[in-house]
Formats: sequence, structure tokens, C-alpha cells
Amino acid sequence: MKLLRPRLLSFAADLFLWAYLLYSGFTLYYLEALWSPWRPEEKLVWPALSPWGWAVVVVGMVEAVLLTRSFGPSLGQRVLGVHLVGEGGRRPTFAQRLAYFGFSHLEILVLGAGVWLNPQNPWHERWAGLRLEPLPPLGSEARRPPWYRTAYGLTALLLIAATLAVGWRLTEVDLQKLVRFAPKSLRIWRGLTNPSFEYLFRPDPRIKLSFLDGLVQSLYMALLATVAGIVVAFPLSFAGARNIAARSPFGWLLYSLTRGFFNVFRAVESVFWASIFAIWVGFGPFAGSMALFIHTIAALGKLFSEQVEHIDPGPVEALTATGANLLQILRYAVVPQVIPQFLAFSLYRWDINLRMATVVALVGGGGIGQLLFEYKDDLQWNLVGGVIILFMVTVWIMDYVSGWVREKIV
Amino acid sequence: MDITTRLARGLRIGILPALLDLAFLGYLWMAVSISYGYFRFGRIHYSFFPWTTMLLVIVPVAAFWSAWDQTVGLKVVNHELKGGSAAKRFLYALTWPLFPLTVLTAPFDPEGRSPAELLSGLELSEVALIVYRPWCRSLTGWLTALVLLSTLAAAWGVTRIDPSRLRTGFEKTLKFWRAIASPRWDLLSLGLRLLAETVFMAIMATAFAVPFAVFLSFLAARNLMRGPIARPIYTVLRMIGSFTRSVDAIIWAIIFAVWVGTGSFAGVLALLVHSVVDLMKLYAEQLEAIDPGPVEALTATGANRLQVIRYAVIPQIINPYLSFTLYRWDINVRMATVVGMVGGGGIGFRLVQYLRSWSFPEATVLTLLIILMVWFLDWLSARLRAKLA
Repeated sequence: MKLLRPRLLSFAADLFLWAYLLYSGFTLYYLEALWSPWRPEEKLVWPALSPWGWAVVVVGMVEAVLLTRSFGPSLGQRVLGVHLVGEGGRRPTFAQRLAYFGFSHLEILVLGAGVWLNPQNPWHERWAGLRLEPLPPLGSEARRPPWYRTAYGLTALLLIAATLAVGWRLTEVDLQKLVRFAPKSLRIWRGLTNPSFEYLFRPDPRIKLSFLDGLVQSLYMALLATVAGIVVAFPLSFAGARNIAARSPFGWLLYSLTRGFFNVFRAVESVFWASIFAIWVGFGPFAGSMALFIHTIAALGKLFSEQVEHIDPGPVEALTATGANLLQILRYAVVPQVIPQFLAFSLYRWDINLRMATVVALVGGGGIGQLLFEYKDDLQWNLVGGVIILFMVTVWIMDYVSGWVREKIV
Repeated sequence: MDITTRLARGLRIGILPALLDLAFLGYLWMAVSISYGYFRFGRIHYSFFPWTTMLLVIVPVAAFWSAWDQTVGLKVVNHELKGGSAAKRFLYALTWPLFPLTVLTAPFDPEGRSPAELLSGLELSEVALIVYRPWCRSLTGWLTALVLLSTLAAAWGVTRIDPSRLRTGFEKTLKFWRAIASPRWDLLSLGLRLLAETVFMAIMATAFAVPFAVFLSFLAARNLMRGPIARPIYTVLRMIGSFTRSVDAIIWAIIFAVWVGTGSFAGVLALLVHSVVDLMKLYAEQLEAIDPGPVEALTATGANRLQVIRYAVIPQIINPYLSFTLYRWDINVRMATVVGMVGGGGIGFRLVQYLRSWSFPEATVLTLLIILMVWFLDWLSARLRAKLA
């Protein structure tokens, strides 16, 4: 087994782990003692330390890393599956570990030269009479100390505790608030249990939309975005499939470009597009459906092309052998294999698009979300309740129908 | 057939397809009306004539459609009208509108037939042999094509699609493209902090959800919950679970944003609710699928209930539980952005604020960070899935 990679990676992991722990400790102290809640996003700050303060921090971090690495597998070593053993695979003695700890300092001082020169068994290990070996697979050892008596177990515990503690402060978890503000939430519950359908058919004079208008808009936005998305994503998905496109240098370029496009555009939130299209074509459902459309192309394209990559190569080879051209191969060997999954993904996408159609309304995308957010901002809870119930019922029906259809076709 | 089977047959074959057909034609009516109104007058009308007029049209159409062809509703229940002369089919069409009376006729007819079937002597039976016909040779095919076409037209109208605006409005966006291309990099550190907050939202939601879900999963596992007290608990839990899951996370975020105020705590709670019920279901399904052998073996040695769970159940479920939890965390991180947008704090909330004020240089930085996060998550979950599989 090549040991350079696990050696370096585990060292980096340990270093990162201790940096994280130290920073968590600092953050907790800062939030507990110093922070005043004026700028909520400034809960994570860079500590202001003098140069010697930084020196202490760095040295302490390295010491902690070396200590955990010398005494029992550290978390980094455990994750990468290596540990220290003595002669003949025996457990290292305390003296050996102490020696290893000392020699590691020398190794650090020469910037790990020994590791680069002899990655299998560098001198700081040899001098301590130890060597690094792959961990035996789980259960094959006669006896392994319980997790709470190992370095990796304790650091993992510390890691989890620090993460939860920081998360608690960072996300301002406040169980008191839940109880104290429960009466405040009553108004939304009251709205939900006592919904108003005043504007179900009659347009709201202020927003110029009725609930039904909003719902129909949302449904059609989602539908159009999905259909148009399929039309564009379907041909693109073959260009984005390695087994179809990447057969020649030009094809490989095409493949990479398509995949890159999918990967970038899939990760851009649809509200971003909605906001651009709101400027481009004006506020309203057109902007919303364009935003969903762009996002759908990339999301469906990626799913489709992955499906194309997982087809059975047999029919493709058979058709290639008969001298069929690319279009014929696609038509007779690829498409029949992927159609059911494509349909299932598309239905699934319509579901998602319907939900996202609500969110794009935040930046002017139209649809039922517009009503929802307007009423919420105006504190008209009965109307909010009505909109939510209408939307939920629609989503249920659609979930049910699309689940039924998916069951039929797959 | 006893009376309930007859009634069930009547409801399933006599009433459900008829209602589906009426809904289909009613939708067609609406879609045609919307598209005609939009392309003729530039306005949206759900129905040009009163809704009662629509009934006068679609009921006869549905009657003759179901007498002469396998309608969409009948396709759904996989039945068709067999044989019969034209006169009988005409009689069937005439009596078809009596379909609501099936609730009265079906329980008292040995076959559970509808009035139309009884009066015309025809019978709806399961499709035995599927005969392929091209869509253009059947009324159902034409009507379906019409529905698809008018849906697209209506959608075009309702969403006010106007491709010319893409051309004319492009100039307005030039300024903003330039803004997008010049991100405000000094916001990078703020963005990273918000990103960390978002990731922590997901971590906290998952961490809180796991203890609840583990506890509830034992109560929601069918094989463990036997007996007169346990079974109702199981049923109620499952019902609450499926109801809560079907309420969208966006809606939970709105509710909690009102409850505890806008901020990441509201986001945590919104994600938490979904995570608890989702994990409960996944865990419980895993519990239901355990190998009963070890449980029986330990029970036979006289181990008590806790010991059985500790030594026979937990070793079997620990790995799937871990992988479900990771999967849920992955989903939570992705959802945290969307939940944040509607008041859940984190990077999503900020992004929407910037987008609403068209501050694109700032929004670009946040978007780039979200892209990186999505990529990292994809990479990580692929790695972990490969490890756990």
C-alpha cells in the first residue's frame, strides 16, 4: 500500500479538524461574551490577535495534531484507514509513542523532508521503532478498545459537540421563543383553520388576481417550463452523455461543454433568473416561466444524460455493427431504453416546478405565490390560510396523479 | 358478490370513469375558452358561456363518447364496452347521464351494474385484448390531442408569453448583465458566513430530527406495534406523518417565520418538521424489513425487550439509519437555501433581498457560493454513497 497519500491527507484532515475546533471554541466565546446582536450575519468573525497570539494558536494546533497522531489513531488516520504499529504488528508502547511524538517535532521542523524522501517509513517513525499500516478490516481484530478510550473517538465526540454548540448559537435556536411566541403563531393557525376564500373566483381588487387565476397561472407556468424544458433537454442529453457524444475530440468538447452548462445552470437558483427576466420581459408569469424553463433545461438535462450513460451497451453495439448512422442508433437503440425514466423524471420535475413557481413570485414571477406573499406581508392571515389550503390541495392531487402515472410507466 | 363488492364495482366502474370524463371535457372546455379568448380578445375567460351551458354541452358529448369509444376514464380503470348493436349503444348513450344513480342500482344488481348498463343490456368489462389503433383513428385520440394542444395554447395565454418582449426588452438588461459580470468580491466573506449559517441550519435540523425520528420509528413500525393499544398509535403516527410531509417546506418556513420571527431558527424548524417525519418513515420501513431470526433467537433465550432491541435489532439497522441520515442532511442543505428565501434566514434570505433590489453584483457573489456548495455536496454524496454501498 502506498502510504504517502493517506499520510498527507490524514495530516491535513487532522490539521483542519483542530483548526475547526479552535475556531468553534473562539466563536462560542465570542458569541457568549462579546457579541451584540446588531448585525446578525457577523456572528462568525476573524479573531483579532497579536502576532504572538497567532503563533501560540498555530503551535497549539500543531501540538494537538501531533499528540492525537502519536497516541492512538487520530480521526484523520482513522478515516483514511491507517494506524501505527510496533515490531511484528504489536501495539506501540507508551515509550514508543512518546518517542514518536518527539521525533515528529523534528520532522515538522524540517518541513516533512523525511516523509517526502521515504513515504513508506520515514525516519521519525523508524527511530521510534514504529511503522504505519493499514487498519485491519472491521471485526477481524481480536479486541479493539471501545471508542471512548481512543483518540479518534474522543476527537469525534469533541467535533460533534462543538458543531452542535456552534450551530445552536449560530442559528439562534431558542426554545423559549417557541413557547413565548406561540400566541403570535396563533394568528396564522387561526387563519389556516378559518380560511377565507373571498377571492377564490372574484379577483382581489388590489392585486387584480383571484386565487384561481393565481393557481392556474402557477400550474401553467410549471407545465410550460417543463414541456419546453423537455424539448430542449432531450436533444442536449445525448450531447451530454459520455458514451454517445465523447467518441471523437470534437464530440468530447461538445460533451464537456454540455455537461458544464448543465452543472452551472442547475446550481443557479431560479429566483436569480426570475429577477433577470422580470427586468427583461417585465414582472409577471412570463418572467417566472422563463426562469423555471432555464433551470429545468439544466436539471432535466443532467438527469437525462445520466440515464443515457447507464443504458445497456448491447443494442448500441449491435446497431453500430450493422452500419447504422448516429441518428438511427439513437432512435432504435438508445431512446427505447430511456423513455420510461425520462417520463418519470419529467413528471417529477413538474412537481418541483409547481413548488418553485411559488418561490419565484418573491422577485416578481407571478402565480399563486404572488398572492401568498402579498397577503403574508399585509398580515391578512385568513386569506393566507385560504391560499395555502388551495395550494396544498392542488399539490396533493398532483402528487397522487403523478405517482399513479409513474407507477404505470416505470 | 355481496352488497359492498357490488357497490364498490358500481363506484369504480359506473361512477369514477364518468366523473373523470366529465372533468376531462370540462377542462377541455376551459382550455379552449382561455385560448380562444386570449388569441381573439387578449383577455382570459375561463368560460365564455355560463357554467350551466357547459354542462349542457359536455354531458351529451361524454355520453356518446363513452357509448362509442373507450374513454379516458375507462382507460384509467381499464374497462371497455363490449359488443352490442348501434341501437343498443344509442340507448346506452341516452341513459348514460343517469350514472349518479349507480349508487342505487349497483347494490341491488348481482353484477353491480350502472343504470345505463342495465337499460341497454351492454356491459363494461375488463379489457381482455389490447387492440392497437393509431390515435387518429379514435375519438379518444383526437380529444386527447385537442386537450394537449389547447393546454399549450391556454398556457401560452395565461402566462402571457410574448417572445417579442424577449427582443424588445433585452436592451433594459444590458446594464444588469454588466452588473452580473462585475461581482462585488468584498462580499465574499459575508457570503461565506451566510453559507456557513445555511449549512449549520441543515446540521441542526438533522441533528434535532434524529433522536425524535429514532424514537418515533419504533412506534411507527408495523411489525413492532401489535396489539390493541399499539396498533392505533401506529396508524395515527403514520397518518400525521404523511399529512405533515405533504405540506410543503416553503409553507412550514412561512409559518415558523411568523412564529419565531424571520431568521435561521425559523429555517431550522421548517427543515426539522420535514426531517422528523421523513426520517421516521424511512427508519420505520427499515425496522419493518429486519431479519426476524435474531429477534426470535434472543426472545427464546429469555432476553427482555430492551435486550432484544439492543442486541438483535440495533446491529441490523445502524448502517441504513446512518445512510438515511446522511441522505436527509444532503436534502436539508439543498432545501435550506429555498427555505431561507421565504424567511428562514441564511444565504437564501440575503440572496432574495439583493435580487428584489436588483443589486446584481452582490447577488452574483452569493449565487457563485451556492453553486460551489451544490457541487461540493454532489461530490460528497457521490463519494459517501459509494462508500456505504
